[in-house]
Formats: sequence, C-alpha cells, structure tokens
Amino acid sequence: MLLAIELEHLVEEVGCHSLGCAMSSDEAVDLAERLHPDLALVDVHLSDGPTGVEVARTISRDCGGVALFMTANVKRLPDDFAGACGVIGKPYSEHGVKTALSFLTFCLQEGHVPGPVPIGLTLAPAYAELWGLIDAIPQSA
Amino acid sequence: MDDYSESKRARDRQDELEQLVEDRTRELTQALEQKTALLHEVDHRVKNNLQLISSLLLLQNRRVSDPNLKASLKGMLGRVNAIATVHRRLFQSEDVQRFDVSAFIRDMVADLVGSSARDDIEIQLDLERVDIPAAKAAPFALVVNELLTNALRHGFPEGRGGRIFIGVNRLNGDFRIEITDTGVGLDRDNTASGFGLTIVQLLCQQLKAKVETTDAEPGTRVVVLLPVDTTH
Repeated sequence: MLLAIELEHLVEEVGCHSLGCAMSSDEAVDLAERLHPDLALVDVHLSDGPTGVEVARTISRDCGGVALFMTANVKRLPDDFAGACGVIGKPYSEHGVKTALSFLTFCLQEGHVPGPVPIGLTLAPAYAELWGLIDAIPQSA
Repeated sequence: MDDYSESKRARDRQDELEQLVEDRTRELTQALEQKTALLHEVDHRVKNNLQLISSLLLLQNRRVSDPNLKASLKGMLGRVNAIATVHRRLFQSEDVQRFDVSAFIRDMVADLVGSSARDDIEIQLDLERVDIPAAKAAPFALVVNELLTNALRHGFPEGRGGRIFIGVNRLNGDFRIEITDTGVGLDRDNTASGFGLTIVQLLCQQLKAKVETTDAEPGTRVVVLLPVDTTH
C-alpha cells in the first residue's frame, strides 16, 4: 500500500491523474471496468497471490486500457507480456518511474515513441512495433 | 540356454541401472528447480524490500519542510537507490557472481544526472568493460554514488555549468575509476559532503582501494584504485 501511495505522488508529478489503487485482483479489475484508465500500473504479486498477469490481460482485453507491469521478477513475465505494453523492474527509482511515465504518456497520445526507451523501462515486443521502435528486439547474431 | 539366461540377466541389470539413473536425475532436477525457485523468491524479497525502504524515504521527504532534513533524506535515498541499482543489475546478468562496473555506472549516471535536471552539466564517459565480484558491488556502488553526487551537488552550484568526466579502465593490476569535474574545486566544508566523504574513506578501506583527490584546475579529480588481485 505504501508503494502505491508513493506511486500516486509520482503519477501526479508527471501531470497524470491517479484514478485509484487496488490491492487484490478483483478490486483491480473492478476498478478498471468502472473507471477505464488509460494506463494501469500492475504488480505481478497482489494481495491474493501472483494474479497480476491475469489482471493485466483482462485490463488490456476487456477494459480498453493499457497495462504496465511493475515487478521485481521481470524474467518471469510471459513472452507476450499478457497484453501489457511493458515493464518497469523493481527496485525502480523516482526518476526512473517519472521518465518512463512521461515516455509512455507521449506514446499513448501520439502513437509513436518520442526517442529512445528510458533506462528501467522495457517495452513489450507488440508495443515496440506499434510505436515504431525498430531496435526493440535485439537481433541475436 | 546358459548363454540366453546370461544375456537376459545382463539386459535386466542394464535396465535396472538405467532406471536408477533416470530416478536419480529426476530427483536432482527437482531439487535444482526447488533451489532456483527459492533463489527467485529471495531475489524478489530483496528487491521489494529495497523498494519499500526507498518509498518510505520518499514519503517522509514529502512531509518535512526543513531543508537540512530534506537534504539528509535525499542523501539516504540516493544511497538506497545505489544499492537498488546493484540488485537490479546483478540479477539481470547471466552470471550472478560478477558485477559489470561500467554498465552500473551508466545506469547511475542516467539516474543521478537525469533527476538533477541540470542541462548545463555535460557528462563525458570513457568506460572499459570491467567486472568485480558481486560481493564487492554494494560498497563499490556506494563509493561511486558519493563521488558522483558530490561532483553534481557541490561542484556545480546553481548557475554554474560545466563537465563531469567518468572513466573506468585497467591500470597496472588496478581498476582505475576516475571522476573529474570542472566545478568550483576543493572546498569541502559542507557537513553533508563531509559525511559522504567519510563513507567513501570507510568503504575504500573495506575494499582495500586507494582514493586520491587532486585539484583538476579548475575543479576536482578523484581517482579510486581498486586492486584486481584482491577482487577474487
């Protein structure tokens, strides 16, 4: 809950508005269905277990929102990011989150990236393509 | 008849052995999976706890108005962030035993310089790929954090721009880390930087590293020499 409250501050500081916080997967989906957020910051581990992945999938599929993971376990996300636009790895810094949020705000409004992806943020392959990022998936030689 | 039963016995024995090997392999695979899951769990908790500490410091920083107290909290937040950056980096890499110094410095610089919002300070990097043992990563990160923060905060008071150079290379059996700024130079009466420099001295002692601070005319040059042979 502490993390969520602090995140709300950061969200407001980059000029976005926080619609609310949820602790469990049910609360999260309910909130997203009612309020239709542009962006939902989703931790993989919620109060009812590792349910964040499904929450992200539901939000992007049924609620018309874009999900962004915030997790300490980046390597354990599914390859398709469950429909989410990317991930910020924990532990993140104040500056890292703000830069990432400003970057994503631009992407969501303009439909393309404003420049290189900031350190700390990883875009999902589908969104990297959608937002015109060519080097998103490093070509293994 | 004898030949037949002999070879049958041999076949049975072989089947038995293969079964044993298979069972043992399965047991070991399961044990390894369990250990890997535990490692992930611990990694997860370390990262989440670091996140919690930094969020607590940020929240309290929002509540206080005393500029000295704010500066202290910001200082501690920077130190926690340095350790957090280490943990993020360590588990990103394939080899959890080694720590890539240059990649870490790149992350730190992006974060510190970015959050200082100082467009008038130019950053110059010359980073060679250098690895240190993971066990030394946190104290090393704290040293780099203090030196960079000092250069940014005390080298360049508001309105004075300039350049900060950060170099990492090997030199005669040492790792040489240089941080040079073109700022106001050697005047470290400030109490906040005093604590920072104490941290640098203590941690360098722990790392068996040498620190040399010289006048860069203008500005300050700090060189840390970390012996390669004691880094194993």
